[in-house]
Amino acid sequence: MKITLLKSLLLLGAFVCFAAVQAQTVSGTVSDSSGPLPGASVVVKGTSNGTQTDFDGNYTLNDVAGDATLVFSYIGFASQEVSVNGQTTINVTLQEDATALDEVVIIGYGQTTVKDATGAVASVSAEDFNGGVISSPEQLIQGKTAGVQITQTSGEPGAGITLRIRGTGSVRANNSPLFVIDGVPVTNEAVSASGSDIGAGSSGPRNPLNFLNPNDIESMSILKDASATAIYGSRGANGVVIITTKSGKGAGVNGQWNFTTNLNIAEVRETYDLLTTEEFIDAGGANLGGATDWQDFIFRSTASTDNNLSYALNYGKGNVRATFGYAKQFGIIEDTELERITGRINANHRFFDDKLRVGLQATVSRINDQAPFVSRTSGSTGDLLAASLYSNPTLAASPSLSAAPDRNPANLLAFYQDLANTNRFLGNLSLEYSFTDEFSAKVNLGYDTSESERTQVVGPQIIALNNGAENNGRAALNNLETENRLVEVTFNYSKEFENSNLDALVGYSFQDFNRSGQNILGQGFGTKNLNEISNVISSSFEDTRNIVSGYQAYGIGVFEDQPDLGSQFRVLNLSPQPNITTADFNGIPIDALTVDTFDFTDELQSFFARVNYTLKDKYLFTATVRADGSSRFGGDNQYGYFPSAAFAWKLNEEDFINDEAFSTLKLRLSWGITGNQDGLGYGQFLNRTRWGRLNADALGISANSQITAPATLEVAFANPELKWEETAQYALGLDFGFSNDRLTGTIDFYRRETSDILLNLPAVQPATAPFAFQNVDGVIVNQGVEIGLDYDIVQNDQFYWNANLNFAYNQNELTDYDGPDILAGQVYGQGLSNAFVQILTNGSSLFTYNLRNVDQDLNVDTDPSIQDENGLPTMNAGFSTTASYKNWDASLFFTGQFDFHVYNNTANALFALPQVGSRNNLQSVIDSGVAPSSQNPSTFFLEKGDFVRLQTASIGYNVPLSSEGALKSLRLSLTGQNLLLITDYSGPDPEVSTTDIPGSTGGIPSAAIDYLAYPRPRTVTLGVNVTF
Amino acid sequence: MKRSIKFLSLFFLIPLIFSCTDLEIEPTDSLITDGFAGVADVQSEVTNLTNTIAGGDLGNQNGLFALNEVSSDEYIVPTRGTDWGDNGRWLAIHRQTWAPDLFDITQAWQQLNSITINATRVISPKSTVTAGGDINIQKAQARFYRAWAMNWILDMWRQVPYRDIDLPNSAIPAVLTGQVAIDSIVADLNAAITDLPSVSAGNGIDMKSTPTKAAARHLLAKLHLNKHVYLGSSPDAADMQVVIDNVDAITADGYELAAPGDFFDIFRPSNDVETIWWSPADAGPKTWLTLHYNQNFPGFNDGGGWNGFTTLAEFYDLFEGPSETNYPGDGQEERRGVVHDPSTANEDNLGIGLGFLINQQYEQDGTPLDARDNVGGVPLVFTRETEQAEFTSPADNSTLETSGIRMFKYHPNEEGGDRRRHIVRYRYADAFLMKAEAMFRMGGDATAMINELRTRRGASVLGTVDAADLLAERGREMYQEQTRRQDLIRFGQFLRAWNLKDATDETRQIFPIPIADVLANPNLTQNPGY
Repeated sequence: MKITLLKSLLLLGAFVCFAAVQAQTVSGTVSDSSGPLPGASVVVKGTSNGTQTDFDGNYTLNDVAGDATLVFSYIGFASQEVSVNGQTTINVTLQEDATALDEVVIIGYGQTTVKDATGAVASVSAEDFNGGVISSPEQLIQGKTAGVQITQTSGEPGAGITLRIRGTGSVRANNSPLFVIDGVPVTNEAVSASGSDIGAGSSGPRNPLNFLNPNDIESMSILKDASATAIYGSRGANGVVIITTKSGKGAGVNGQWNFTTNLNIAEVRETYDLLTTEEFIDAGGANLGGATDWQDFIFRSTASTDNNLSYALNYGKGNVRATFGYAKQFGIIEDTELERITGRINANHRFFDDKLRVGLQATVSRINDQAPFVSRTSGSTGDLLAASLYSNPTLAASPSLSAAPDRNPANLLAFYQDLANTNRFLGNLSLEYSFTDEFSAKVNLGYDTSESERTQVVGPQIIALNNGAENNGRAALNNLETENRLVEVTFNYSKEFENSNLDALVGYSFQDFNRSGQNILGQGFGTKNLNEISNVISSSFEDTRNIVSGYQAYGIGVFEDQPDLGSQFRVLNLSPQPNITTADFNGIPIDALTVDTFDFTDELQSFFARVNYTLKDKYLFTATVRADGSSRFGGDNQYGYFPSAAFAWKLNEEDFINDEAFSTLKLRLSWGITGNQDGLGYGQFLNRTRWGRLNADALGISANSQITAPATLEVAFANPELKWEETAQYALGLDFGFSNDRLTGTIDFYRRETSDILLNLPAVQPATAPFAFQNVDGVIVNQGVEIGLDYDIVQNDQFYWNANLNFAYNQNELTDYDGPDILAGQVYGQGLSNAFVQILTNGSSLFTYNLRNVDQDLNVDTDPSIQDENGLPTMNAGFSTTASYKNWDASLFFTGQFDFHVYNNTANALFALPQVGSRNNLQSVIDSGVAPSSQNPSTFFLEKGDFVRLQTASIGYNVPLSSEGALKSLRLSLTGQNLLLITDYSGPDPEVSTTDIPGSTGGIPSAAIDYLAYPRPRTVTLGVNVTF
Repeated sequence: MKRSIKFLSLFFLIPLIFSCTDLEIEPTDSLITDGFAGVADVQSEVTNLTNTIAGGDLGNQNGLFALNEVSSDEYIVPTRGTDWGDNGRWLAIHRQTWAPDLFDITQAWQQLNSITINATRVISPKSTVTAGGDINIQKAQARFYRAWAMNWILDMWRQVPYRDIDLPNSAIPAVLTGQVAIDSIVADLNAAITDLPSVSAGNGIDMKSTPTKAAARHLLAKLHLNKHVYLGSSPDAADMQVVIDNVDAITADGYELAAPGDFFDIFRPSNDVETIWWSPADAGPKTWLTLHYNQNFPGFNDGGGWNGFTTLAEFYDLFEGPSETNYPGDGQEERRGVVHDPSTANEDNLGIGLGFLINQQYEQDGTPLDARDNVGGVPLVFTRETEQAEFTSPADNSTLETSGIRMFKYHPNEEGGDRRRHIVRYRYADAFLMKAEAMFRMGGDATAMINELRTRRGASVLGTVDAADLLAERGREMYQEQTRRQDLIRFGQFLRAWNLKDATDETRQIFPIPIADVLANPNLTQNPGY
C-alpha cells in the first residue's frame, strides 16, 4: 500500500517536474556520517510544508516551488539549508552539531535536549568517556561533571564505587543514586555474594554494575536536581544516573563490525619507605636471618587485556547491535583477578507503518573474581596488606614460618583462597505504539536476575587465626540469588498549539526485588588442599540441602548445648512456629557444618505523571508527581508522594537580550521533593522473628568446632511510624553561551534538605535486637554551587583545541538534630579496639572528626573533642583538555578534591613510634623520633587530604585508510591512568573510600579514613580500535 | 490492522496481571507476628542465655569485667607501646573518668538488658515448648539469669528498665528503681529457688554451669548485703539476717572452704568443694591478658601473653610475704601464689607462676626470661610499681613493657587447655565472707570466721577484725572475680586516690546511662554527674 503510494507520488513528481516554476516534488535521502537518518525533518523554508524522513532516511515533499529553499534538521545535528533550483532529488548529509546544547539528553521516561531541559541534567556521551582500564560504568564519567563525586573504594579490580551527587544526604550504608539501564531501574544492593568473616575481618561489597561492559554504553545522563529526579520519586533523593546502551542506529545498512582490544600494564604507584633488613636490625629489631621485602613480595606488575567485538546494522525498519566482550584484569596484589565475559544485544524494530516500535535489550555476563586476604576491618594482627607493612624484613618468605602472634604474609598468601563467580542477566522488552500523532503508549518489561557464589577457604596450615581455623581449616560458602522484575506502562500525549507545546506523560510501574541464598560455614575437613576443602563444603551442602525442607537453618555436628549427644543434624524450622527437628544423615566429611538461608522480596508500586509546557519557545514549565508505595513501610506510611516543579526561561530568545553577545542564555528554577529508603533493609516495620544470634548467622562454629546453641531473635520490631526519608531540593541554574556557543557554561545553585532521617539507632533497652531503624528529627543540609565551562580555544579544519572545567562546592551540615551524638568512623589496628574518630552531632558536617587535640609540644588531651575538620571534600574539580591535529589527538584530564581531612589510620595503627623494633616501620618515623604521648586517635594523625590527580593522559592516532579497503577505520591509542598525584598527604593516596565500614555503630558510614586501602595502580593502556 | 489492535490490546493488558499489589511482605524469611508468640524452644533459649553470659562483653575482659575490676584498685591497664591504648578506654576506667559513650558501658548495658528481655521471653506463659528437659527448671534458670542481669544493672546504674513483652514494641519500657527493683529481683530468685535443682558440693561440676538453688541463694545474699547501698540507707539487720540465712542454706548443701593447698584448684575445670556456679567462658582472656608476650605455651600459644593488665603495688601489699619477690618459699600466704624460679620451673607449669607475678620471670627450663628484643631485651622483671601509664618517648618502651605485677588465677596449662571454657562466677568463700560481713554489720564479731578462712589459706590469724580488715580479706580472697568495685563501694573506699588515679566524687559510684536510652526512654533519668 505504502509502496504503491510512494511510486505514484514519484510518477506524479516526474510529471509535474516539467511544470518548471510551478510546484514540483522533491525527494532524496538524508543521512549522517554513518548512514541513513530516519526521522529527520525536511521543511520548505518560510512555510509549514514539511515532512520527516522514513526509516531508510528517504523523504518526498510535494508542492515545492522551484526557487524554494529546503531546511533539513535533526536533533543533535546542525541544520542545513539547500536551494531547490529545480532539482528533484536532493540528498543531504547532516553534520553533527558542534554545540553541545542541541545534544539529546535522556531523562526519566523520555528525552529532551540540553537547550530545552528545565532541570539540572548532565549528559556524558561515549566520546567523552574516560579511557584506560575501566571496570565499571561509573568510572567512565569520573570527574566529568560538576557536583558528582565518584570514588573507587580501592584499587582492587571490581571494587565498589561510591558516587555522590550534590553531597551526602543520608546516614546509612547506601547513598548511591538510582541507576536506570535502558529504562530498567536496577537495585543498588550487591549482586555478588558477600564474604563471611572467617578470621580476617570483613571485606567490602563488589560493585553491582561491574556486569555492564563499559564499551556498550552510549551515554550516561546524570539527573541532579529534584525536578529531574522526582519522576523517580522515592528513589530520586540521591540523584539518578540513566545509562543508555549503544544501538545499531548509526551503523548503516551494510552492517559494521568493530573490534577493540586493550593491553593494560599496571603497577603499584607508590609503596611505603619501610626499613630495610639492616636498618631494621639497627633500630633494635630481632634478626631472624632472612631478608624479604614484603611489599615487593605481595605486589606485582601485571599485564591484562580487554577485548570487545561488536556488530551493528541499521536495516531500515530497525537496527540491531550485538557485542561480545572478554576482559581479564589482574590486580597488583598477588591472587587478585577479575574476569568478565559479557554478551549484549540491542535490537529495535518498527511495525505497522512505524506506529509500533519494539525494542529489546539484553545483557548476559559472567564475572569470576579472586581476592586476597585483604579486609577493611582487620584488627591488631591485620590482613595481608598490614602484614606486608609490619612484618619483620629478616623473616624469610616461607609460608610455614610462624610470626605469631603476628601474621606472616607468605602464610596468608599460600593458605587463603577466595573465589567468587557471578552470573547476571538484565533484559528489557519495550513496545511503544502511536495511536495518533499526539497519543502514544509504551509498555516496558524488565527482568534482572543474578546468581553468585563465593567460597572463602583458610587451610589448616594458616597461622595466627584464633577461631579454630588453625589445624582444622575453615571455609565459608555464600550463595546469593537476586531477581528483579519490572512492569511499566506509560501514556504520552503531545500537542503543538499555535505558540506553545504540551507534552504530558502518565505512568504506572511495578517492581519487585527478591533476594535469596545461603550462608554456609564449615570447619574441620581432614584435608589441607584448599580446592578440596572448597569442593567438600560445596558438595556437603548439596548433599544435605534436600534431606529436609522448610528450614531457615540447619547444623550438623556437636552442639554446645548437648555435647553429650555427639554429632547431630538439627534443623531449625520457622513454620508454623519456630521449631527444631532432627534428621538422619550419612556422615559428611566436615567436623561442623552450618547453613543459614534467607529469602525475601521487596515490592515497589508507583503512579507518576509529568507535564511539560512550552510557551513561545521561551518559557518552559515542567511539573511531575510520583506516588510510590513500598513494602518496606506499613500502615499510613506505605505510600509516599513526591512532587516537583520547574521553570526555565530562554532569555536569549527575548528581544532585550543581545543575541550577538549571548548565543545562549537560559535561567532555570526548580523545586521538588524526593524520597529515599535505601539501606533500610527488608521488613523493618513489623515484628519478625528468625533463628539467630546478635549480628550473626543462626548457628556459628566455635574454635573447638562445636556449633552454638540455637535461639530465636526478634530481628525487627513493630514500628508502624517508620516512614520515608524525604529530601526537598531548591535549585537555580543559568546556562550561557557566547560567540555562537564557542564558550558555553552552566552555573547552578542548590539547597537540599533531608529530613525524617532514617537512622539505625541503638534500640531502647531492653530490646532483643541492639539496633532499630527510626526516623530521627533533624535535617541534613547540602548546599552548594556547581560551575561548568567549555571553551573551544581553536576551531579550524586541521586543528581543534578544547578545554573543559567543572567545579563544585558543597557544604554539608546536620542541623535541628537533638538526638544523641553518635560515634562513627570506627578504626582498626593494634591498640585501637573500639576506637572511633568521627561523630554525628548537631551543627556539624557529616564525618566530622572527634579526636584528642595535640598541641605543639605533642601533649595529648585525655578526651576527644569535636573538631572543625571533616572527611567530606567541600570542593571537587575536574579539568580536561583535548586537542586534535589532522589524524592525531591528545587529551589530559585532571581531577581534584579540596578542603577535607583524611585520618591516617595506617600511620596510627602501624607506624606509631612505640612500635619501632617490634614491627617494621617507616624510616621517616625513626628519623623524626617524634611521637605524641599516646597512640590514641588524635589530631596528630589528621592530615589535609587536598589533591590533584592526573587521572588520564592519552594520545591517539586515526590511521588514514583508503575508502576502498576492508577497514573503515583504525585507531591506535595510548592511555595512562593515575600518572601523577599532587598532594601534601603523607600516605600513598588521600582519595580513600567514603563508605560503610561495618562496626558496632549500626552501619553509620564513615569517610576519609585511610587504612590499608588496596592501592590504586598506575596503568598504561595500549588500545586498538578497528571498524570494518 | 485489526489483528494488530488485538495483539496490542493483549500486550497492554499484561501489566494488569501485576498491577495494584497490596505491597504486603510474605513470611518467606522470618516469622511475622502481631506480638510476642512464645519462644520456639525453651531449652535452647536458656542455653543461649548461658552462652550470652559466658560470651561477649559479659564474659571476656571488656564490659562487665573491665567496669568492675579496672575501675578499682585491683587492676590498671597501662598503654604498652601502642598496645592497650584502645582510645583511652582502660585509663578512663581506671581513673573513673568515663563518659556515657564509653564502649564498655554501652556494651555492658546493652548485653545485660538483652539477658533480661530474652529471659522474660522464656519466662512468659506463652513459651510452652521445649525440645527436652524439664520446662519448669528451664524457666527457673531463666528467672535466675534475669535476676542476675537486673542485679548488675541495679548495681551499676540504679535504674532497671523492664519491657513488658506483651505490649507493643513502641511502648516505652518501664524503669524499676530502689525497693521496687529489689522486690522484683527477690521475687524472681524466690520463684527460681522453688524449681531449681538442689545441687550439693559433691555433685558433678557439670551440674554447676547452670543455675542451682545454691547459686540463687548466693545472689539473694549478695543482693541483701548491698541493698542499703542501692537504697542509700544504712545496713538493716533484717537484710543481714537474709544474708546469713541464705549462706547457711548454701553451707547445708555441703559447700565449704577448700582445704589448705587447694586454693588455685578451685579455678580448674574439675570439681571442688567451693564452686557454686561457673560459666563456660573463655579462660584465655583471664590468663593471657596479664602475661608477657614471652610467657608462652609452646604448641598451644606460641605468641604468648597479651601483656596488658597489672595490679597495683598497694593491692599486692595486702598479702603476707616479702614485698619484692614471690618465689617459692618466700613466706607468702597461699593466695598470693608463686613465681616459678629455676628450682620449680618445669614443662608442666611452663615456668609460669600463678597468683601474683613479680620480679624476674623464668622459662620452663629455668632460663631467665627477657623482654622483647625491640625494647633492648632487658630482663623480664615485673616491677612493683606501674609508674606511668602512657608512652612519651622511645625510652619508655622497656619500662612500659615490663612494668607492674601480674595477677591472675587461671593457669594456662590445665585440663582443657589455655582456652578452656570455665570461669568461676560464684563460690563458697564469697558466701562465707558475706556471712562474716553481715554478722559484723549486725554488730557481731567476724574475727573467728575471718581467721578460719585465713588459716585455710595459710595466712596468720588476726587479733581483731574491723571494716578495713573485712575489705582487705575480701580483696585477698576474691581478686579477679568481679567483686572489687562493689566491695570498695560498700566499704566507702571506691572514690579514694590510688596509683595513677586521683580522688573522685561520689557520682562515680554509679555509671552513666547510655545517652541514646536517656533520650529515647523518658522513664530514665541520667545519673547525677553525667
